[in-house]
Amino acid sequence: MWQKSASLAENEALELQKAPSLRKRFILSGAGVISVIALIAINLVFNYSQRLADLSYDRLLLSALLQMDENILAEDGRLSIDIPWSAFSTLAQANEDRIFYRVESSVDGYITGNQSLESTPPSPSELGKPQFYNQTFSGEMIRLVWLERDVTEANIQGSVTILLGQTRLSRETMASSITTRAVQVILLIAIVAIVLIMLGSHLVLNPLHRIEELLEERQPGDLTPIKLDTPKETYQLKIALNHFMARLNKNLEQLENYTAESAHQLRTPLASLKALAENARDQTTPERQEEALEQIVQQSETLSETVTILLNQAVVSHRLQTQRLIPLDLVALIKQSCMEQAVAALRQGIHLSFESDTSKVMILGEAFSLQQMLNNLLDNAVRYSAGNGLNDQNEQLVEIRIKQDVQSVRLSIIDYGDGIADDEKKRVFERFYRANYEISGTGVGLAMVKEISDRHQGKIKVTDTQPKGATISVDFPLYFDREGEL
Amino acid sequence: MRSLKKVLVALIFAYVASLMANPVVYESDSALDQGGNFFQEQRTLNIYSTVDLDAFEPILKAFVETYPATKVAYYDVNSLELYHKVMAEKDRPKASLIVSSAMDLQLKLVNDAYAKTYQSSMTQALPEMAKWRNQIFAFSLEPVVMLVNQNLFPGGELPKNRLDLLQIMRHHSQAFHGKIGTYDIRKSGVGYLLASQDARQADATWGRMIEAFGSHKVKTYCCTSAMIDDVAAGDLLLGYNLVGSYAHKRALGDPRLTMIMPTDYTLLMMRSVLIPKLAPNAEDAGKFIDFLLSEKVQSLMLSENLLFPIGDASQAINLSKKRSHPTRIIELDQQLLVGRDHAKQSRFIRSWESALELSELD
Repeated sequence: MWQKSASLAENEALELQKAPSLRKRFILSGAGVISVIALIAINLVFNYSQRLADLSYDRLLLSALLQMDENILAEDGRLSIDIPWSAFSTLAQANEDRIFYRVESSVDGYITGNQSLESTPPSPSELGKPQFYNQTFSGEMIRLVWLERDVTEANIQGSVTILLGQTRLSRETMASSITTRAVQVILLIAIVAIVLIMLGSHLVLNPLHRIEELLEERQPGDLTPIKLDTPKETYQLKIALNHFMARLNKNLEQLENYTAESAHQLRTPLASLKALAENARDQTTPERQEEALEQIVQQSETLSETVTILLNQAVVSHRLQTQRLIPLDLVALIKQSCMEQAVAALRQGIHLSFESDTSKVMILGEAFSLQQMLNNLLDNAVRYSAGNGLNDQNEQLVEIRIKQDVQSVRLSIIDYGDGIADDEKKRVFERFYRANYEISGTGVGLAMVKEISDRHQGKIKVTDTQPKGATISVDFPLYFDREGEL
Repeated sequence: MRSLKKVLVALIFAYVASLMANPVVYESDSALDQGGNFFQEQRTLNIYSTVDLDAFEPILKAFVETYPATKVAYYDVNSLELYHKVMAEKDRPKASLIVSSAMDLQLKLVNDAYAKTYQSSMTQALPEMAKWRNQIFAFSLEPVVMLVNQNLFPGGELPKNRLDLLQIMRHHSQAFHGKIGTYDIRKSGVGYLLASQDARQADATWGRMIEAFGSHKVKTYCCTSAMIDDVAAGDLLLGYNLVGSYAHKRALGDPRLTMIMPTDYTLLMMRSVLIPKLAPNAEDAGKFIDFLLSEKVQSLMLSENLLFPIGDASQAINLSKKRSHPTRIIELDQQLLVGRDHAKQSRFIRSWESALELSELD
């Protein structure tokens, strides 16, 4: 016993190890999403900081270029330039960056600046429109601004081109300082978010743990509902658990009652068996002894039957608890039951008659239980009809009728026996209640029928047959499939 | 004309080259290392410099004493020649260090990527305006001054600023004829720098100055020391735009000489040093830069009246605010390139020549 529980615990531990963790999944997917977002953000920041640095330093570059442009002048009929000091002091704000420039005109060619700095802008040249671009020069990547415009001096035709460039040191410094700071912030946010997710996951899953703990701490027999304030998400779980426990509790109660009553029920025939056996033992003549033994055999058969019925009921109960209800043809089921019972009934001189206003009617049900129910009902009807008014033709008949309604179908089993008194009608479905002790039976049958009917959401009732006898009818709800067809 | 000019330039080059062929060499008296052994191989540090040998010698001697494994070959060159020489040797530099007072030419070398990057704790400590790109470093900060021979100066009172000078020249026009000296901006790099900065600072005053210089037959010089000699000898009444440290040292030892820092504005220039990009023995060059910037050498410059140390730069800036007249520090940054713009330079020299009534050939 101990070893078994130890290995059980081991198995549980192993299973727990293999089982996917909800929390881990939650954290991993959260962290994954955050990482992707962070990577995208970092990438955007990289591009953005480059653009921002270029934007700000391009303004300086353009401002210097325009200052130069304003100082283009004509000198002895040739174009020249008097670069203002302020132009380069503007550029000196990028304090470590080298400066390159070149001024030329369409007429005279090179005017001043770096002779080796030659360049055509990437886009087709457009007069008066400055263009910015990068180019390698003097062993470094430099940023250039290019401007070509018409000469406005008198007597000089053509255009003048100014190229002004600076190295990218300050731009890179600015971009990387923006990037560094932004990346720091992004990483910090990402880490904080992941930590929050981890904490949050603990908080979110906590109600589950609380329910788990509560269940673990319970006494084995405690099936009372869980009284725990839970969030909406676990409320349904709690309700489901409570329903489940309620069902379990009911089952247990039933089982307890059933066991007690079965035992009680078996004790009487056993006692009588014992009396018969003692009687047989004490008989002196063989004839009487044989008679007594015959009685014992009969009693044993009855006992055996009772046990079979008890077992059947146990099976039915079990199936009703465990099996799902599926769509079934009630007509076909009844036909089968009638055929099975017909011969046995005839032997007792009873005719079974089956009438149905439909050839097929679908209900949700469990085949074995329904079968048992029908067998019981028929068996009962036959049993209570037999030996009554043999002269009357009607009394030897048990009728089975199926009548379909809009929402339900009614199954009626009609006998013409002695009938059931009004004050007993309510009690016939109690377990071990027998209306007529003259007639053999366990008293279990109708109780089981009621149980099966309940499980099928059927309404069962007992009425009188005219002129005499009893009618038991069960109303089953009809099954409609999804299209609303029968 | 042009070819004649070229021949002349070539002749000057040849002359300078012959001078430079014989550097002054300094080495430690005891060519022994700390272990008492002779140095297996003594390294040579070639320095091209515009600083007068008189002013630099004590520093060079101190250097070889501190680093006996290195000997120093010192080539004294005019600042403009220095630039051309460095450019000519740019692919196979002979010099490991270039020392010059022509800040604009030095900066142009750096801008055109001919200088090597060097960083040390000493260079880090320099103020931003005294270095650029960690490739050029200033080691002295000097006022640009006027020097007068007070014994011969007419009118009794010495000028305090440029406007005073113009007035005195107008009143005693005859006395100043041929008695004013200044740099020949065509021959001297530092001369051009100072003239262009004058023009930048006060364009109108500068125009009047060179008009006056022209009408009084100004004499032009290659170097500060020659100008000081002539002022001391009485051949000149006044030298304009002289490097402060030289003038200061001579004025201390000569009662005839008075140094004047113009009160309208005083330019402050820096001497700078750089290592050529492909320089041999760059390691010793770096050591030399650190040595120049060291406390020891900076205080040596001050105590021996060699140069005005850059270490006092921040102090000098503070002082300049307290002083009664403004100072203008020429900073080591990209603006210096404007003065050396090809078009601007030739226009400036042309206007200078015409104002001074000099022929192009002079």
